Amino acid sequence: MECMDETKAVTHDPVEAVGQAAGRYLYGVTDHGEQTSLGYIGIESRDVYTVPYQDLCAVVQNCPAQPYHSPDPDVMTQWVVTHHDVVEVAWERFGTILPASFDTIIKSEAGGDPQEQVRTWLRQDYESLEKKIERVRGKAEYGVQIFWDPKLIAGRLMAESPEIKTLSQEIKAKPKGAAYLYQQKLERALKQEMEARAAAYFKDFYQRIKQQVAETRVEKTKKVDKEIQMLLHLACLVYQERHTALGDELEKIEQMDGFSVRFTGPWPPYSFVSSG
Amino acid sequence: MEPTRQAQATLVDLLDRILDKGLVIQADLIITLAGVPLIGVNLRAALAGMETMLKYGMMREWDERTRAKEKSEARNPKLETNSNDPNSKFKTVLPQSLEHWDFGF
Repeated sequence: MECMDETKAVTHDPVEAVGQAAGRYLYGVTDHGEQTSLGYIGIESRDVYTVPYQDLCAVVQNCPAQPYHSPDPDVMTQWVVTHHDVVEVAWERFGTILPASFDTIIKSEAGGDPQEQVRTWLRQDYESLEKKIERVRGKAEYGVQIFWDPKLIAGRLMAESPEIKTLSQEIKAKPKGAAYLYQQKLERALKQEMEARAAAYFKDFYQRIKQQVAETRVEKTKKVDKEIQMLLHLACLVYQERHTALGDELEKIEQMDGFSVRFTGPWPPYSFVSSG
Repeated sequence: MEPTRQAQATLVDLLDRILDKGLVIQADLIITLAGVPLIGVNLRAALAGMETMLKYGMMREWDERTRAKEKSEARNPKLETNSNDPNSKFKTVLPQSLEHWDFGF
């Protein structure tokens, strides 16, 4: 099964200086145990092909032994999109993919064959990779972000919470100095109540979402906007055919006054392949 | 609710995955970026806005999935939301006394 010149045998890239093929740029791993070319769809139009080991393979292209880097963010972005495109092609073609991070380049030992290094890695991590493939088989990743409008919620609290309602009414009757102190008290009470509500909503939304998906991963919330606040950010691993159930649940939340949902996907399972 | 198609998802959504997640390989097998300014920091700073992947014209769609989604969206147009811009549905109601309040985020 071993060919004499394995680099030439598996890629359609033209014969090139050794330096240009000293590394293997990794797009991902899948359970396709054969050498196959996906065509010239890689970064810098390189040929993307598979390096098999038993029933697994790595999806790679040849590259120099250094990361792709450019000072031009447009160039880097194009590369990032190309990387993701290749991952998508492999996902579609082979059914399951463990996507790699951008700019993961497998190097050869000094003077060694990087192709062999790829096979060695597949062999050494075989069990872990097989487990990961089983974990994501038949599933896709979806991103869920839920936002609220804190001013709207606070406005509601002003009307609903007896304590806060009382405080805000008392402020009107106070002279300037005392009013300031009451304002501070009001803001503290409001802040506390908002935090409690945020936690309660998080818990409720999380439980409801969890019931619709195979796995969840809590992600950091981030500042998006001055007007709205991100309450919840999850990566979800979902059986392909069940994403509508998740969508239905999110639609209910979207319809709630003061709440908004961002729902993206399907993504290849970037968030569910990196543990150990 | 239908998920935002990837072509209309933002680059931030992609970068969060492709730079920070993905298969982990032991350090001695790969070439790292030591000494090179963090790609993530520079890229993310340069892409502060909501630029979509469509701009880069390269996002492929699974033909089947696209067709299925289009069919389902045609049936249930009410499920379509502008999920790229979470701000789009908010009409804020602002009590007077909160005009000046910094919500701490």
